[in-house]
Amino acid sequence: MATIIVQPSGAEIFISPDDTVLAGLQKAGYACTVGCRRGGCGICKVDVLEGSFTYNRRVADSVITATERADGTCLSCRAVPDEDLTIQMRDASLRLVNPLLGQLNAKARERARAASTAPEEQ
Amino acid sequence: MGIMRLGYAHVRVTDMTEAKNHYGSTMGLYETLEDVSPEGNKRTFYKGWDEWDHHSVVLEEGGVGVVKYGWKAQHEADIEAIENKAKTFGLTVERMSAGENPEVGDGIRFTTTSDHVFEVYHSQTAIGTEVGTHNPDPFPRHLVGIGVPALDHSLITCEDPKLMEKLLMDVFDFYPTERIQTSLEDDHELAGTWLTSNNQIHQMAVIGGPQGKLHHFAFRLDDWSQVGHAADLLTMDDVAVDVTPTRHGITRGQTTYFFDPSGNRNEVFGGGYLAFPDRPTNVWTVDQIGKGIFYHSRELNERFTSVLT
Ligand code: FES
Repeated sequence: MATIIVQPSGAEIFISPDDTVLAGLQKAGYACTVGCRRGGCGICKVDVLEGSFTYNRRVADSVITATERADGTCLSCRAVPDEDLTIQMRDASLRLVNPLLGQLNAKARERARAASTAPEEQ
Repeated sequence: MGIMRLGYAHVRVTDMTEAKNHYGSTMGLYETLEDVSPEGNKRTFYKGWDEWDHHSVVLEEGGVGVVKYGWKAQHEADIEAIENKAKTFGLTVERMSAGENPEVGDGIRFTTTSDHVFEVYHSQTAIGTEVGTHNPDPFPRHLVGIGVPALDHSLITCEDPKLMEKLLMDVFDFYPTERIQTSLEDDHELAGTWLTSNNQIHQMAVIGGPQGKLHHFAFRLDDWSQVGHAADLLTMDDVAVDVTPTRHGITRGQTTYFFDPSGNRNEVFGGGYLAFPDRPTNVWTVDQIGKGIFYHSRELNERFTSVLT
């Protein structure tokens, strides 16, 4: 049984053998950002600050890049801790949960900005 | 008539054994061929019980996401006509020879403005439906799992849905049945578009997002009861369900979304109204996007636009 220390709070959770980091977090009552839960979408990434883990399935290079394999990025739905882990959750309290609406809002902002600067250009 | 239907979805999977368990045992597709691609990747070809051509789904080991789509044209001559329209649109078109895809004839191949690879062909080896064409029964007696009859449609993402809509209209003669727009004014942004060439409510849909990504590909079912039954089987087989049975406002279809073992999103889609080229396009304004996508919850969940392969 491994321990995961969840930063920034420093909360400590126990995780059963063979459980993924995501399963461990969820069983301990954490709500995390999840998508496919099958290692395909890359939404569930957390950062491992200390400790090592093994993926329980092959993970596609398009989901975890070569750099990410080295820099502590952890696909939580497929990673099983080898030992105690210290992880850092991503996503601050303000999360863009809907990129499509975000994209449309960005375009609206651009249009508004263009409209407000237009008279000065004339 | 040009493009008759989405002929095949060719997708990548990380583990062929797990994938075959899903597409063969849970979805109930019939395996028609196993081979190794010229690049050395394992491939498995499948057809649904109500499809007569050799395959409609191709799995290729090595990654996730979509490799390409195949579109079946009605006449041999349609291929050249589509090639010309694609060139006029400004696309680079290459010829595809019979056999480049097993059991598929000559055709063309091009990369869309959305960075997806499309192939257009006219012939594919006919195998026949599982119930035959002589005094056919309504379904095969020994269906496996959900027993999906056929591939239905796909949803992809790209940075410029308006340009991709124009491509599908200009090159494939598709017409939009439904759209999501930022407003009803002429200068609106297009957030999403659902298109078809026939009576099927949509064959390809496009929403704003990253280039070249797969949102889902869908299998056809008849109605609510089949969608509900499918969801029961998905749970029995411990499939990662994304959205439990609900209705789309857009298309009126009944749906359940789930993920294959590699994380590619699948859908079973039932119902929806009949489309006609002279039908006015339904327009959804962005403030009603939740109701358009998930009619009952009226809320667009976080995963719908962010989870892609
Ligand atoms: S939830 Fe999709 S990769 Fe982990």
